[in-house]
Amino acid sequence: MKIPLTGNPNAGKTTVFNTLTGQTASVGNWSGVTVAERVGTLRKKYHGTDHDVTIVDLPGAYSLSPYSGEEKITRDYILDESPDVIINIVDGANLERSLFFATQLLELHVPVVIAINKSDMVKRRKNTIDLTTLSKVLNSRVVLLTATAQMGIQALMTEAIALGTAKEPLTAPQLTETHTDTTRQIFVDDIIRQSLVKETASSQVTLSDNIDRWIAHKWLGVPIFLLIMWLIFWFSIEGLGGYVSAYFNDVLFGEMVPHTANRLLESLGVHPTLQAVIVDGAIGGVGAVIGFLPLIMLLFFCLSLLEDCGYMARVAVVMDRFFKKIGLSGKSIIPMIVGSGCSIPGVMATRTIEDINERRMTTILTPFIPCGAKLPIIALFASVFFPGSTWVAPSVYMLAILMIILGGLLLKKIFVWEATSPFIMELPAYKVPSLRHATTQMLVKAKAFIYKATTIILVCNTLVWFTQGYSWRLTPVEDQSLSMLAGIGTVVSPILIPLGFVGWQLAAAAITGFIAKENVVATFAVLVSAGSTQALHLPGGALNQLFTPVTAFAFLAFNLFTPPCFAAIGAMNAEMESRSWLWKGLAFQLGIGYMLALVITQVGTLLIYGKPAPGFIPAIAITIFAIALVLATIQKADNQRNVIENAM
Amino acid sequence: MVLTKAKIGQTLYVKHIEGKDKIKKFLLTLGCYEGEKITLISILAGNYVVNIKDSRYAIDKNMAKAIVVEG
Repeated sequence: MKIPLTGNPNAGKTTVFNTLTGQTASVGNWSGVTVAERVGTLRKKYHGTDHDVTIVDLPGAYSLSPYSGEEKITRDYILDESPDVIINIVDGANLERSLFFATQLLELHVPVVIAINKSDMVKRRKNTIDLTTLSKVLNSRVVLLTATAQMGIQALMTEAIALGTAKEPLTAPQLTETHTDTTRQIFVDDIIRQSLVKETASSQVTLSDNIDRWIAHKWLGVPIFLLIMWLIFWFSIEGLGGYVSAYFNDVLFGEMVPHTANRLLESLGVHPTLQAVIVDGAIGGVGAVIGFLPLIMLLFFCLSLLEDCGYMARVAVVMDRFFKKIGLSGKSIIPMIVGSGCSIPGVMATRTIEDINERRMTTILTPFIPCGAKLPIIALFASVFFPGSTWVAPSVYMLAILMIILGGLLLKKIFVWEATSPFIMELPAYKVPSLRHATTQMLVKAKAFIYKATTIILVCNTLVWFTQGYSWRLTPVEDQSLSMLAGIGTVVSPILIPLGFVGWQLAAAAITGFIAKENVVATFAVLVSAGSTQALHLPGGALNQLFTPVTAFAFLAFNLFTPPCFAAIGAMNAEMESRSWLWKGLAFQLGIGYMLALVITQVGTLLIYGKPAPGFIPAIAITIFAIALVLATIQKADNQRNVIENAM
Repeated sequence: MVLTKAKIGQTLYVKHIEGKDKIKKFLLTLGCYEGEKITLISILAGNYVVNIKDSRYAIDKNMAKAIVVEG
């Protein structure tokens, strides 16, 4: 039996889905958290019998005529997948608007159960919904829910399964006539008059409205946003996160784990080569990454609280003015905040943007915000080259915001398109974020991170360990620079010289970074541990042989702004809806990352050390070429704009 | 008059909406259509916060200008 959950955005579908299936999908207090269909199996305690019930969580929709991409997914599912029963989650605090969609669903000749969620909020507002009347005029089953407290779930499923088994579509007699959108609204108005008694008018100023006057204030809005983001990143990277992570790196993965492993393997009489593979390759590399686990856990914990409280919609309102200047709208900020956890859901969140061009621009710019996987790189470089500083991590995010603005301006210049989509954002009432959900999200993300570290990163690492220790003839090498990895790195490294990145090791780390960003750290861990006894993450550690603080910062920027990992590129491909746009986007990201690293190295070295960095002359040549290329592209775009204007 | 001319706290009725059909249809699904009540709650960072049915929406100035209201 297939049962989809449908309803307006932010009605609580995903919360119900999590309860029904025991999954831990991310929820949030804004419209458009869920942008893809999600499938789960109903937990046994809710069906009691041996029915095989599949629950499908769908993106929110206001009607069956989609406005943006995620609504289309919902419409297509309902119309094409022939569900057995539809559960329509209705936001009790928004009964009138919700019934528009509900009556459309009732006309599909598929049994529908209407679940009125947020019944606690209805009660708090002293409103009363007459369930008997509502059920009668809609001629369908109506149940009350408080999904956050898991109330009414059992009754809902009993009704739904009974309807699905009976297979008798209920059709309300009043709904058999064909409605236009306007007559439907009038019909809904009539139902509301019969079944809803409101104690207070919703147009009265509420606590949320008063909070908004500060949070989304014309001048205070942006500083408040920057302060909140700064606090989150400081807390997770340098505050508590940095503290716990330092313990992990120094004690747990610096001493305890490798020593225990060595002793264990020696006592088992394992071959020294195998022992080296396990301890230096696998444990060394994976340990270097897992050491940063606390940062990622705390980041996701904080982001989950932020998403749950209702602030996201307000940021969109605050940022709309500024994003309009670069051809986007306030909606584009949401993918970027989501992307600070992971770029993949961030890129997917662009689906809620109606205009295709705006969506493509946002897709190109979203990966500029450092994702959780880039935190280990930031934290590693900050602790080695800028010990004790509190500005490195936040400055990386400020740099990201700056690059988004500059990148947006440049994209607006080089691509010909008209920004026309209007901005409209629902402002949900604030709520106290759920600590339980935040903790669950933190643990889920921790599990995923450990899984990634022990699979893909482990494989990459073992490969890195092997290729740095063996020659092409598969014989062990004393000198790392004669190894296979050095050979591969040397092929790529010339193009990195203008950025001041000298050495095949840097090229090797950059390449493994495209598979997963954590690999950058893991690769350095393997290369350093095999070549020296110094710890990787300590100030003045072995990385100093490869970088100056200036080139280290440039290398950080290079890894942050060049195209994201393969998985995120896959997500970009899906949202761009065009292969040629994907290539344009990747070329743009590569160009920005490359030029930014080049400028940081060359200008920084000149200013701080008073002498040109390696590759100064080629860097100048490349800069001139890049400027000429950009100017030519802008010229071409301008001509195209003129042609369009003249044609009109 | 258009919505941008309304006073904060004022409740008005939608007379008609200008602009593309797609956006009109979208507003209609939200409950913003001829004859419906609309209340201007506040103006935040250049956006107009309005109450339509039981929900708050922030809309940009251009869209607010497209909503023609009467007392």
